Parts: sequence; C-alpha cells; structure tokens
Amino acid sequence: MTPEPMKGSDMKAPATEAATHRERQGSVTAKLGETAPPAREKRAGSREERRTAYLMLAPMMVLLAIFVIWPLIFAFRQSMYQGNFYKPPVFVGLDFYKYVLTDPGFYQSLKVGAYYAVIVVPGGMLIALLIASFIKTLGSRMASFMKTTVYLPTVVSAVIASVLFKIIYADQGLANWVLSLINVAPKNFLGSPTMVIPAVAVPGIWLGLGITTLIMLAGLLDIPDSYIESAQLDGAGFLKRTWYITLPLLRNVLLYLFVTGIVAAFQEFLLPLLIANGGPVNASTTPNLYIFNQFRAATPYAMTFSITASLLLFIVLGTVSALVFRLIRSEKAVDA
Amino acid sequence: MRRGKGLIALTLAAASAVSLAACGSGSAGGTGTPAASGTPGAVETGCSSATTVTFWQQKFEDYQQAWYKKYVAQFNASQNCVNVVYQVVPGDTWTQKLQAAQAAGTQPDVVTTNYGNIKPGVAQGQFSALDDYLPASAFADIKSNVAPFVTQNGKHWGYPMLVEPSTVLYINTDLAKAAGLDPASPPKTWNDLIDWATKLTSGNVKGITIASVAADLGWSSWGLQYNSCGHFPITDDWSAGRATESCFADLVGLYKTLYQNKLMPQNPKTGYADATPYMNGEVAMMVDGSWALGAIKQTKPDLLPKTVAVPFPTKDGGTGETTATLGGWTLTLDAKSKHPKEAAAFISYLAAGDPNIMADFFKQAGYSKYTTRTSVDQAIATNDPSTKQDANMKTISEDIVAHGIAEPQYPWDISLAMGTAIEAGMKGTASVDAALKTANDSINSTIQKQQLKGTAPQS
Repeated sequence: MTPEPMKGSDMKAPATEAATHRERQGSVTAKLGETAPPAREKRAGSREERRTAYLMLAPMMVLLAIFVIWPLIFAFRQSMYQGNFYKPPVFVGLDFYKYVLTDPGFYQSLKVGAYYAVIVVPGGMLIALLIASFIKTLGSRMASFMKTTVYLPTVVSAVIASVLFKIIYADQGLANWVLSLINVAPKNFLGSPTMVIPAVAVPGIWLGLGITTLIMLAGLLDIPDSYIESAQLDGAGFLKRTWYITLPLLRNVLLYLFVTGIVAAFQEFLLPLLIANGGPVNASTTPNLYIFNQFRAATPYAMTFSITASLLLFIVLGTVSALVFRLIRSEKAVDA
Repeated sequence: MRRGKGLIALTLAAASAVSLAACGSGSAGGTGTPAASGTPGAVETGCSSATTVTFWQQKFEDYQQAWYKKYVAQFNASQNCVNVVYQVVPGDTWTQKLQAAQAAGTQPDVVTTNYGNIKPGVAQGQFSALDDYLPASAFADIKSNVAPFVTQNGKHWGYPMLVEPSTVLYINTDLAKAAGLDPASPPKTWNDLIDWATKLTSGNVKGITIASVAADLGWSSWGLQYNSCGHFPITDDWSAGRATESCFADLVGLYKTLYQNKLMPQNPKTGYADATPYMNGEVAMMVDGSWALGAIKQTKPDLLPKTVAVPFPTKDGGTGETTATLGGWTLTLDAKSKHPKEAAAFISYLAAGDPNIMADFFKQAGYSKYTTRTSVDQAIATNDPSTKQDANMKTISEDIVAHGIAEPQYPWDISLAMGTAIEAGMKGTASVDAALKTANDSINSTIQKQQLKGTAPQS
C-alpha cells in the first residue's frame, strides 16, 4: 500500500517531533562526552528492551498456550478419532471434516448466523450511535440517568430475556396486541421462517445496546469539541457533522464494535434456542446451536462431529474477522 | 449484540474435555470394608468406614428430587458401609456434564438413564450388567413388557423404575360439552380429532395443543408414526430409510391441517411436555405425556374432574392399537465404577428392593407414571386402594400403556430428521413429499456416516 503524501499541518507535527528528538539525543550525547554511543551498546540496549518486552508478554503467552493453543491442538487431534471414554478411540483421519462439510445443516446454520449478525450488528450500532449522540447533548445529571437506563438491559440474564420475549411473541402476547391496534395482527413471529430471525434479533440488540452505547459515547466524548464547533460555524448540520467528522473519528471504535459484534452475533445460541428452539425448520439454528444440537446426542459420532464442526466454525469466524479488517483497511484505522 | 468469548469458551470446552481425558481417572472410593459380599444386592453393616458411591439424577419434577433425597438419606442411615453422594443435574446440561466427568474419570457410579439410551450405551460399553450384583428375583419381578427395554444379550443393563406413555389426549370436558361434543365418546379417528379441534376453537381458545417444533416432534410423534405405518421410518436392520412411504405423509397431513387451520397455537409459549397452556384454559384439548396428569393434580387440582384422558385417536379408528411409545427411566451402573457391588446395592435398595419405596414414588407422582414391577402394583393396591377408582389412570394403564411400545433405539439424528420433516410439512416451508424426501435423504446419510447398517440391537 502506497502511503499518502502528507499535507499542510499534517506535515508539521512529525517534522517538529523529529527535530525535538534530535535535540534531545544531542543533549544526551553531549553529556556523555560529546561522543555518539557505540553501535554495540545500542544493540545491547535494544536486546535489553526486547527481553523486557518478552518478559512482559510471557504471562499472556503462557496463558494463551495453556488455554487456547494447546486445547486447539488437542481438539484437532480429537477430531480425527471416533470413540468414547469406555472403548479405545478409532482413528478416522479427516472423515469428520468431510461429514461436516457435506452436511447441508452446517451451511444452513452459517447462513442463519450471518443473517442474524447482519441484522443485529449494524442495527445495534446505529441505535447505539443515535442514543450516544443524544446523551452527549444532555446535562451531566440527565446523562448519568440515561446511561444507567440504557445499560440496564445488559445486566438482564439472556435466559430471562428469552422467556420474556417468547411470551411477548405468543399468539396473545404483547407484540400481537400492539399490532392489533393497527389491525395487522396476528403475526406468526416464531412459526414463520422469514420472521423468526428478526424476532430473535430484537432481544439480541436490546441486550447488547447498553455496552455498545457506552463504548460509542466514550468515543464521541474523545472527539475534540473544537472540530464540531468549527463545523457548526461553517454551517454544517447534524447529518453533515456526523458524516464528515463523527464517523471518521469514530472509525476505531466502530471497527472494534463491528468485529467483536459480528463474531459474538455469529456465535449466538441461547436466544434462538430458548425463544424458537432453532425452528421453525432450522430457520433459527445458528452455528453454535447446530453444534450444540449435535452434541446433545450422547454418541461417539456426535462428540467427534461437534468438535470438528467447532474447529471449522473457528476457521470461518477467523476468516470473517480477517476479511473485515482487510476491507476496512484496519491498519490505517488503528494507526490514525 | 451480545459480547462474549463464546468461540474460545466452546473451543476450550471441547478441548478441555479431551485434555482432561489424559489426566487419568480419579477415585470416588472410600476406605470401608467391601460391602455386599454375601447376598447379591444386600449391604453389610458394621464397617469401619463407608465406601462412597456417587449418584447423579437428571432433574425432573420437584417431588422427584424430594423422593430421591429422602430415600438416599434412608439408605445411608440404614447401614454404615456405603455412603451415597446424591447430585441433581439439570437436563439441559446433563450430556455435557456427564461426558466431562467421563473424560476426567470422575463419572458417577450410578445414573438415571432413559430406555432410549440403554442399548446404545451397551454398544459403547458404558454400563455394567446388573445380573452379577442383584438377585435373580429382582429381575423376575420386572413386568414382561418392560424387561426387553433393559435386556440385551440376555443380560440386564439397567433396573427399570417407571414407564410413562409419551402421547395421551386430554380433553376439557366443560369446553367439550359447551361445544356440543360428548366427552364420553371421544374422537376415534384423525378426522374426528380435526373435527373436534375445529369445534373447540373459539376466540382465543384453541382446539388443541400438540408438538410443533422439530425437537419435540422428533420424539413425541414416535407412537403416531408407528400407528400410521406399523413401523418407524427406517428398516428393521437399519439399512435404509423408509420416510417416503405414503403412510408418513398421512401423519404429516394431520399436523399440517391442525396447524394451517389455526386449530392449535401458532406461537406456543411452552414446549410439548409442559401442560401450562391446558391448565391456563388456553386450549381445550392437549396432547402430552402421562406426566401431564401429575402436573394437573399438583398445580390445578380443580381442573382434574373436568379432564378426561383418552388414547390418541388412530388413523382409521381402530382400537387397541399403538399410539404411544413408553418412555421412562432406569438406574444404571457405570462400567468403570470402582465399587460396583456397593453401587448395585444402592440400586437394589432404591428400585428393586422393598416395593413400598417405589410405591411411594408413584404416590408422589399422583399415579401419573406407571410401574415396572408386579410387586409394586401389589403394594400400591394395598396401600392406596382408591387408585383403582381413578378413571384416567385406568384408561392410561389399560388402553395406552398396555399397547405401548419401546422407544426406538436408533440415533437421535433419525428422529430429528422426521421431526424436521413434520415441522416443514405442517408449517408449509416445504411440500409434504419434499419434506419427507429430505428426511429420507438425511436418514440414509446418517446410516452411512454412522455405519448403522446391521447394527440394530437385539434383545
């Protein structure tokens, strides 16, 4: 990727920093006898820095190795054996990868997961952005009240929310009662393959709204007021300010919320399990619910199948995350 | 958006199960002198310390937990050689928890196992035969129609505690009379049932509730599949699927009519096994297992006199036909138990010993579950003669249980494929024929991948 040339004030800051750095370096060398440090000392210094860095990284690397890498290796090994804990396992090679990859249910679950994520992530982010923008305009007491109110759903158990929404979507539930006021009831929310995922997505957005809004609000508060005020003086309205100032400066926050949101939404299984039991006809069977359903059968086949499907889902989600980073050119965003 | 580290957790769960397997097996044993060395199934007394036996029970109705707790305590108090550590495990975490324990070598000595998992478990070497530990009289007491459920290769791999038919039709007599129907002459055919449901559907009250999602349909329709076709959707030797036979289409057609004509809830609040919609008056008829009768007795006793339990109608109105499979629970002994004699002694005490213990269980259940032992029937008749006068209990026992058959032993994937086909057909996401074709393909795929051909268990 060719770096874009810097213009105007952008050029000024690095040039000044470089000059300051040179000045500092100069003053240090002067104190050490007006000679430049030998190259060997420089290398030793960098070795020491590297050692410190490795030492600081070590705990995380050890934990990662114990709790992620080693289990992954073991899971991969287990995916090549069929057996239970009472008989010696039988080596089956990559057979189960073929079984999972030729199972239409696996692809159907990926589609369902993607559909759910496409509704929940952008929908949740949009609503959170609007609420965060609104909270930013409030006084401190009202903003505190609003933040607490918005955050409350986050502490509600997903199980409780599921039961609540199952009742709301029932034939004589709240949703149908509201729709009956405008003569469009009854709707078969959980019995219709086209309506079930949007219906499940509503509590999905609701439960995640609090934390998304607070992260978004923190990002908004980081944007200097002077930028907004300048735009206002230039006559930019809310939409233009949002499009040209807020969104570009929120890029890192949005990227974080988008990537973690996509990965979390793809893996949702509690809401579709408890609200719709994966139905109708697997229309709400997300990838993790698909794996869970396989695992519920206590057979050696089911266990190896579940592990294999989990590993394949890991690859799918890793690929999706990498694609998102690639498409959004995240390295620029992160360095911005 | 719900944030979490689901993937990592899932991977860890899968992988830790594997890594735990490498940790070797633990011991649940105690230091007591070996018990039960004399008479099979008996426990010695006068030990210096007790041997620990672990027992896991899948969680059911509250009265069941209370019953188990009471008799585990009584067993522990009755001798000092065996100490049973009792643990209740919720059903939705049962498989995961049990497999994790098996991986770690800390599996319980005794567990509750349903009939459907006995023979697959035997094939996997999961259980110890009880014949070596219990007296022959204990097995002679088991009713002849139940014994095959736990018998393979001439040995008993679990001790049966109860049976319960999975499909019973309950009718609210008040609502039936109000609709001009005679509860004393309940529907005999599937067409009758549709007619009754149509007449009973009024306003917010639906005519009937029956399973409507694949996970429930997969098992609750076993008896109806058998009634419609005389067999399950797989050949007897498990070599090929039979789901495309027209008799299965007839069954899907029944569900489709009930659903498409809005004679049943379109968005049910609860699953098949839950009797709440019927108890709340949201439906006039309910298809549920026999356990629903116990729920009504305990939760809404005033509804009991207005409820009549009858066999689910047969396709063509025939009587004495199978319309329900008999589910139920057994106690099994783990093949890796370090103390099989002591564990078997507990099984003997709880399920195969004094018939009054099991008689008390059925009393607590409101007689909504059915006995597996002749001696327990006799104990109930002696202790509680009024049960003979319970018309609903008599109907379920004589007209449903007597004609019930064992649950199929094939893998759940096959049942789920049929459940999915019924759901697809009833909700119109596919034509009935296309749905059954998909199910048949799925069954054949399961046969091939799981190498089922010729592996059907024999008694």
